[in-house]
Amino acid sequence: MQLFLEQLINGVSLGSLYALFGIGFGLVFATLGILNTAHGAYASWAAILGYYAVEWLQVPFPMAVVIGTVGGGLIAIIVDQVGFQPLRGRKGGMLGALITSIAFLIVLDSLAGTATGHQSWAFRPGHYPDGLIDFGPIRVPQMQVIIIAAMLIVGIGMHLLVQRTRIGAAMRAVGWNEEAASLGGVNARVVILITAFLAGATSGLAGVLGGAATANISYQLGEGLLLKGFAAVVVGGFNDVRGTIIAGVLLGVTEVFVSQYLSSTYRDGVTYVLLLGFLFLRPRGLFGSGSFIRA
Amino acid sequence: MQSSKLFRQALAIGIATSLGFANAAIAAPDAGEYQLGIISDDTGPIASAGISYHDGADLAIKEINEKGLAGEGVTFTLSVKDSASDAARSVQATTQFAADRNILAIICCVLSPNAAGVSQFAIQSGLPVVIYGATREGLPQEPYITSVVALPGPQEVLLAERMAAEFAPKKVAYIKQSDSDIQSARATKVQKVMEAVGVETSAEVFVLGADTDFSGPATQAMVTKPEMIFVWANQTAGIGVITALRQRGYDGQIVTSDIISPPAVFEKSGATVANIPFAVSFQPGVSDSSTAQAFIDAYKADYGKLPDVYAAQGYTAIHLIAQGMKSLDGKPTRKALAEAIWNITEIEHNVYGGQQMENGQARTPGTLIVNWTKEGEVKRWEK
Repeated sequence: MQLFLEQLINGVSLGSLYALFGIGFGLVFATLGILNTAHGAYASWAAILGYYAVEWLQVPFPMAVVIGTVGGGLIAIIVDQVGFQPLRGRKGGMLGALITSIAFLIVLDSLAGTATGHQSWAFRPGHYPDGLIDFGPIRVPQMQVIIIAAMLIVGIGMHLLVQRTRIGAAMRAVGWNEEAASLGGVNARVVILITAFLAGATSGLAGVLGGAATANISYQLGEGLLLKGFAAVVVGGFNDVRGTIIAGVLLGVTEVFVSQYLSSTYRDGVTYVLLLGFLFLRPRGLFGSGSFIRA
Repeated sequence: MQSSKLFRQALAIGIATSLGFANAAIAAPDAGEYQLGIISDDTGPIASAGISYHDGADLAIKEINEKGLAGEGVTFTLSVKDSASDAARSVQATTQFAADRNILAIICCVLSPNAAGVSQFAIQSGLPVVIYGATREGLPQEPYITSVVALPGPQEVLLAERMAAEFAPKKVAYIKQSDSDIQSARATKVQKVMEAVGVETSAEVFVLGADTDFSGPATQAMVTKPEMIFVWANQTAGIGVITALRQRGYDGQIVTSDIISPPAVFEKSGATVANIPFAVSFQPGVSDSSTAQAFIDAYKADYGKLPDVYAAQGYTAIHLIAQGMKSLDGKPTRKALAEAIWNITEIEHNVYGGQQMENGQARTPGTLIVNWTKEGEVKRWEK
C-alpha cells in the first residue's frame, strides 16, 4: 500500500508538470490557432534563467521561479511578435505557423545548448527545496508538493480567468473569430500578447519546477515535456483547462504505474495505446466542445 | 669453392641485414601537414561528454605538433564534423571524410551504434578509424578500425568485489538503463559478482536513457529496503536517478560508474554525488604518472578546467595515430597508417600509467576506485 501511494504521488507530480505545460500549449492553440512546438523551448529557457538567477545572482528559489516564469512569458511574446504576427497579417494559415514554430524551436534550442555549454545543469542541494515532508508513513519530496500545488493554483486560476473574466471572454472571442472580436470592440492585439505571455509563463513555470525536481536543466528539458503536454491537451480537449489538468495528471500516473507494475520498457507504448484508445472513444477529448473548429 | 659460396651468402645476408637496420633507423614519415578528422558529439544529447573528447583530441594535436611526436616536421590538423550523436549524420560525415583524400584517418564515436555505422563505411572506403568512446564488443576490425577505450567488465568486477568485501550487504538493488546494451551489460557483470557471493537482489529497476523523471524508479528500488543500490545508466539518467534517491532520503550506499567522474558533474550536483564509489582509469587528483600530470596541467591551462576521463580518451586516440604515423616511412597512405596503428601493442604516450593494445582493442588499464568528497576533491575510496 505504501508503494502504491508513493507511486501515486510520483505520478500526480509528474502529471502536474505535463498539465502545467499543457495549459499554455492548449491556450495558444485555442486562442491563436497555433500548434506551437516552440512552446518546449520556453520551458528550457525558463529553467536556464531560473538557474542563472539562483547560482549567479544568488536570489532565493521562489524569486528564481518568478524570474523563470516571467522570462518564459517574455520569450513567448517575442516569438509571437517576430514569428507569428507577420503570418497573421498575411493569413499564413496553420501550416505556416507550424513550420515557423518548428524553426523557432530549433533556434531557441540551439541557443539554449550554447548557453548551457551543452551540459545538463541542476540546482545545487540547499539552493532549492530539497527536503522531505512526512505524511504518516509516506515521505514526499518538497518539490513534488510544490509542483502539485502550483498546478492546482495555476490551473484553477487559468480556468477562472478564461471562463469568468472579461479578458477570458475576449480571449475566447479572438479564438473563435479574430475579426468579429475586433468589430465587437475587443483589442485583438492586446489579447494576443496576453495569451502569448500566459502560455509562455505557464510553460516557464513547468520548466523551472521540473528542472529543479529532476535535476535536469538543459536545452532538452522542453523536448521531454512537449509530446506529453501535447498529449494532455489532445486528451483533455483543446479549449478547456480542466481537461488538460485531468489528462496531464492521468498521463503521469499511467506512466508511473505502467513502469511499476508492467515494464518501463513498454511504458510509453502502453501509455500512448491507452491514449489512442481513449480518443477513439471520445475524439473531442474530455471537455472539448463539438463546435471547436480548430481541432 | 664451397667456403667461398658460403662467404658470399653470409656477406649478402650481412649487407641485407645492415641495409634493413639502416632503413629502419631512418624510417620517418615525410615532413608536412597531415589532416585528421573527428566526427564529434559537440551538440546533441551527449554533448556534455562529447565536448570533452573533442577538447582532449585538440590538446593532443597541439602537443604533437609542438613536440614533433608524430615525426620530424610532421604536423596534424583536425577537421571537425559534428554528428550531434545522430547515427545518420555520423555516417554522412564518414562519407565526406572518405571522399576527401587529404584526410588520413579519423577518430570518432561515443555511441556504439554510431561507431558500428561509421566502421562499416570506413572499412569499405579504406579509411582508418580510431574509436574513443563506444564500448561495444567486436568493433575493432583489422586493420582499419581500432579502439582506445577498454571493454566494460573488468572495472565493474573489481568495483563489485570491493563493495561485497567491504560492506557484506545482504540485499542490493540495481537500477539499469534498459535501452543501453553497454550499461545493461555492465550492470549484469556487477550483479553476477554480488550474487556469486550470496547477496540477494532485492530489485531490478529499469529506466530509459531519455527519461527525465526518476521519482518512480527511485521509489521502486527503495521500497525493497536494499542496503546498497547500484546505478548503471548514462550520465544524465544516472545522475537523475542518484538525485531522486537522495531527494527521497535514501541513506544506504549508492554505487555507480565513471559517469560521475567529470569535474563538471560535481560542479552541477555537489554533495549529491559525494561519497559514491566509482571505478575509473584516469582521474585528476588521483592519476599521478608524469604524463597524466602534464596532460592535466596543459588541459587546465587551455580550457580553464580539469580534464575528465572522456578528454583523456580523445587525447589518447590522437596519440595512437601519432605513434602509428611515426613508424611509417615516406609519404603515408591510409592503408599503411591503418596497419601501423593496428600493430601497436602499447600506446607509448598515455595518461593511464600504461595502456596495452591487443588486436586493435585497448585492454583495461589500471583501475582506480575513487569518490568525490563533499569538498569537491576526488580521493581513493575508503569505507
